[in-house]
Amino acid sequence: MTSETLSLATRPLWPATKDVLLISIERMLPRPRSFWVFLLLSLPVAFGALLRIYPPPGLPLTGFELYGMVIALFFVRNLLPLVALLFGSALISDAVDSKTLTYFLTRPISRLSIFLGEFLAYLVTVLTLTVPCVVVTYLVLCAATPQGAGFGAPDLVQDLAACALTLFTYGAVFALLGVSLKRPLIPGLLFLFVWEGFVANFPGDAPNYTLTAYARSLIRHRPAEEGLAELFSKFFGVGESVLVLGFVGVVSLALAIWIFSRREYVISS
Amino acid sequence: MTPRVVFKKASRWYGPVMALNDVSFELGPGVYGLLGPNGAGKSSLLKLACGQLRPSQGTVELLGRPAFGSPEVFHSVGLCSDTDALFEDFTGFQFVCALLSLNGFGSIQASRLATEVIETVDLKDAMHRKVGGYSKGMRQRIKLAQALAHKPEVLFLDEPLTGMDPQNRKRISDLMKRLGDEGRTVLVSTHILHELEQVTRRVLLIHNGRVLAEGDLGEIRDLLDRHPRSVRLRARDPRGLARELVLLPDLVSLTLEDASGHLLAEIRKPDAFFARVQELSVACGVEEMWVTDENLESVFSYLVSK
Repeated sequence: MTSETLSLATRPLWPATKDVLLISIERMLPRPRSFWVFLLLSLPVAFGALLRIYPPPGLPLTGFELYGMVIALFFVRNLLPLVALLFGSALISDAVDSKTLTYFLTRPISRLSIFLGEFLAYLVTVLTLTVPCVVVTYLVLCAATPQGAGFGAPDLVQDLAACALTLFTYGAVFALLGVSLKRPLIPGLLFLFVWEGFVANFPGDAPNYTLTAYARSLIRHRPAEEGLAELFSKFFGVGESVLVLGFVGVVSLALAIWIFSRREYVISS
Repeated sequence: MTPRVVFKKASRWYGPVMALNDVSFELGPGVYGLLGPNGAGKSSLLKLACGQLRPSQGTVELLGRPAFGSPEVFHSVGLCSDTDALFEDFTGFQFVCALLSLNGFGSIQASRLATEVIETVDLKDAMHRKVGGYSKGMRQRIKLAQALAHKPEVLFLDEPLTGMDPQNRKRISDLMKRLGDEGRTVLVSTHILHELEQVTRRVLLIHNGRVLAEGDLGEIRDLLDRHPRSVRLRARDPRGLARELVLLPDLVSLTLEDASGHLLAEIRKPDAFFARVQELSVACGVEEMWVTDENLESVFSYLVSK
């Protein structure tokens, strides 16, 4: 008898990561969680369609300005971090709760491959859900502006990139939370709605320590702030924001991988 | 041959709770039973063996490498865990193929191996159905299939027969025996002792985190000098036979059952007893003799009651 093996070495990183990614997408995308998140992300489409069908008389904002509000406030400020929390914090804990992590841990692949595969599956899943909603929202709200649909096309591309970076950074932070804590959801919500919700609008340097301040700085056509909000809201340059968000994302990912690689997972029946 | 699974003074505790205490053994090719009551440490032992847990003390080696943190050994190791967890939205075939892909097999080879192993566990008719709709026994068999698919040298099977009908129990028991005969190392954890007995006589008995006994079932039984072995005898002249047997120094008790006419002897040194019975067989007309408690169930009961 000989075992039908390829070699007695851990499989190379990328082929193994790709195999984990393919399995994880198939498990992540068709879940009820994805369906409900997609419905939430589709709300602006319904909102835009309603505005198009029943335009309120004397609306002071153009479709493009409305789209800017939706992107800045609905997607980047609120919903995408929440989506990242729901999916990112569950990356490994879902596999632990469903007791299927053992199938990955007892294969000749490194834990780095497992984590990267899961994280890439998260990115593919959330972008698959988000990108169509943003594009359709743009089409619905901006296509009817006097300038035509093409007016905001470069902004749309930039907005999609901002959404992707927001999902990457928050996803990495919540993945770190997910591998560090048994119940990451409540701390994650506290982080989003207490820290990110309030501190980003404090005067002085406090917003420097929030992610949302950098994420909202990526949206160049955000609505103008007025009153106290204008006074307190701090904005950064695009380059600086990309650097900070990218750095926080990469460091969080590295820490999450380090913890995941060393931790024991006791899966009991 | 180099042993494939080696525990050297391995201990494992969870906080103040000792799950495994100073365990040492080596496993080469063949089928081994891992027996113990609930909470004995069987699951911890299996988790240490397949690298899911680190030993708190001592070492655990799998195929010559530390079991924890050596994913490369899983080219040649298969695990069928006791958790009822599968990729519920996958078909049986997809499930096995997906896990084979993690082992590095390309899609064509994975399809071939998956089909082969699914036939082995008799799930061919259901292989394209989602595993979420499988019965308990089918789920168990597809779990077994994924453990066997890449033809590993070392197999850890945790309660592999749970939920199976008698026909499939027999089929899987025969399969385990065949795998052992082929030279693979198979460690089977189970509490269904009589089924294990049909597969192997090599056992590890574990209780309170310690390996109580290890080796051939008969050898283990012989270690239990303080536990008398029960032997039943049928003879033409049971009273005459009883008169002779009571003279043996290692006889613990002797009962003549009036209804059946059988003699029930409890003995400490079976070899001497059997030799004496042999001498008396003609004179007393010994027609039949059988050891009533040389099965796993009774050995296990003796050991864990202490």
